[in-house]
Amino acid sequence: MKGILKIALGIIAALGGFLDIGDLVFNTQAGALYRYDLLWAVALGTFGIAIYAEMCGRVAAVTQRPVFDVIRMRLGFGPGLVALIASTLVNLLTVAAELGGLAIILTLLFDAPFSLFVVLAAIGIVISVALLPFGGIERIFGYGGLMMLVFIAVAFHQGPDWGAVGKGFIPSFSGSPLYLYFVVGVFSAALMPYEVHFYSSGAIEEGWTTKSLKENRLNAAIGYALGGVLACALVVVSGYLFHPLGVEPNDLGTVALPAQGAFGETGLLLALGGMLFCVGGAAIDSSFSASYNLAQFLGWEWGRYRGPKKAPRFTVSWLVFLFLGVLIVLTGINPVDITEYSVVFAVVALPMTYLPILMIAGDRSFMGEHANGKVSATLGWLYFALIVVLAIVAIPLLLATNGGGG
Amino acid sequence: MRRLVGPLVACAVLAFAVSGCGDLSRGELSRGVESLGAIAAQGQLIANGVARDATKSTYTRVMAKTMGDEAEHEAEKLADAEPEEAVAPERHAAVLVAEEIADLYGQLQVFPGDERHGAAVEKHMEEAKAKADAIAERLTGEEQ
Repeated sequence: MKGILKIALGIIAALGGFLDIGDLVFNTQAGALYRYDLLWAVALGTFGIAIYAEMCGRVAAVTQRPVFDVIRMRLGFGPGLVALIASTLVNLLTVAAELGGLAIILTLLFDAPFSLFVVLAAIGIVISVALLPFGGIERIFGYGGLMMLVFIAVAFHQGPDWGAVGKGFIPSFSGSPLYLYFVVGVFSAALMPYEVHFYSSGAIEEGWTTKSLKENRLNAAIGYALGGVLACALVVVSGYLFHPLGVEPNDLGTVALPAQGAFGETGLLLALGGMLFCVGGAAIDSSFSASYNLAQFLGWEWGRYRGPKKAPRFTVSWLVFLFLGVLIVLTGINPVDITEYSVVFAVVALPMTYLPILMIAGDRSFMGEHANGKVSATLGWLYFALIVVLAIVAIPLLLATNGGGG
Repeated sequence: MRRLVGPLVACAVLAFAVSGCGDLSRGELSRGVESLGAIAAQGQLIANGVARDATKSTYTRVMAKTMGDEAEHEAEKLADAEPEEAVAPERHAAVLVAEEIADLYGQLQVFPGDERHGAAVEKHMEEAKAKADAIAERLTGEEQ
């Protein structure tokens, strides 16, 4: 009974913590521009992250090796360093975007200067991490993020043409660079590498072993699938409300408007509260992910469970990443623009971290009976091919569409 | 060679001025006007929340400031650009609509909790959007 409860709580936390600023921005814009036409890309990205996370969690549980440990072992120092630099830059942009997003949401709730909230958000994160245990951080932000369920209620309240919504899950292609840019954006927003790196390191923080493989599978399959439903709800409510009016949701505050339209102030507060927890959780995950990667690659002592005294370089690097994130946002660059760049660059860096995990997950000498089966291996390689294609076209599409500006 | 550069630049500038070509093409203007329509449409939704007393004042105030700044920026961008002769009247009309939208957002910013103002702004935003759509229609020949 205790085991089932633990798994259920893990799934709920995964659901609440699924969305981040990239999902909020790209899914809402995708709905406003293309109504329900890009739902298939959300589903594809969600399925992709479930596969990737399951593999990373399994590798961590079986071998006790997190992602960047595996990368250095498989790729060697030189290519591994390239993967580390690329991932760190993307993580840094993501930390900045999430901190900026957090400050925007706080500004919408309390109307004080943006820069003040950037600093307060960073301080709040440091305090949360200092006071809460690892599982507590994950659960508080995950459960708080459940307020985002209001978007599913909004979708039902709006009563869209469900047939048209269903058709959105059938892949459709258009030669328009803007459409293709949003395919890449929506897919990549669902498959941000920091989420998986954090998940893998978290598995070791929480002491997963082969006995945790069932929990891993259920977390990845059900938690991410339910999170994907939330991401789809963002597309649906935006497609229903914004698309006919021609609204261009270029600001994070616009994401909450459909909830206000459907349920008034309560809906608005639930939406903003859910966004606050999701983006806050993502700020912690992405900053942790940056220092996890660095520490694992360089062989430092790492882990929240070890504490600052036993893992000083890990703790300092985490604080440095957070500080650099604050500095980037305080330059005045719009956090939504930072988000778009971080999401697009993430897909470019993704193959470098995905491939070593895919290889080790299929290696029986490391994984024994827990190595990828035929289905997992086929899906894993199919997704790898897809990720490589998207990584190649991502930057040209970013330039051709002026960052999605058309 | 260097002696030729000055006269060549002068000729190019003169030719550009005589041809009546501006730096704001029909396509660029139409994109700017479509953005204005989108900003006004969002204003309608924000004002609707105020009119129904279904929002939070801080949210309305911050959103109105952000979107009002966007409308203001669009107005300045359009006013600063030199339009092609054929689209000069539309450019002028677009600047007026942008200013109108910015002004309406200003009202929301000042009265974020006033339902009467909210209802009035919602109506005027709808009208401003209709004006922007009409300009875009004249520019593109497509119904908005």
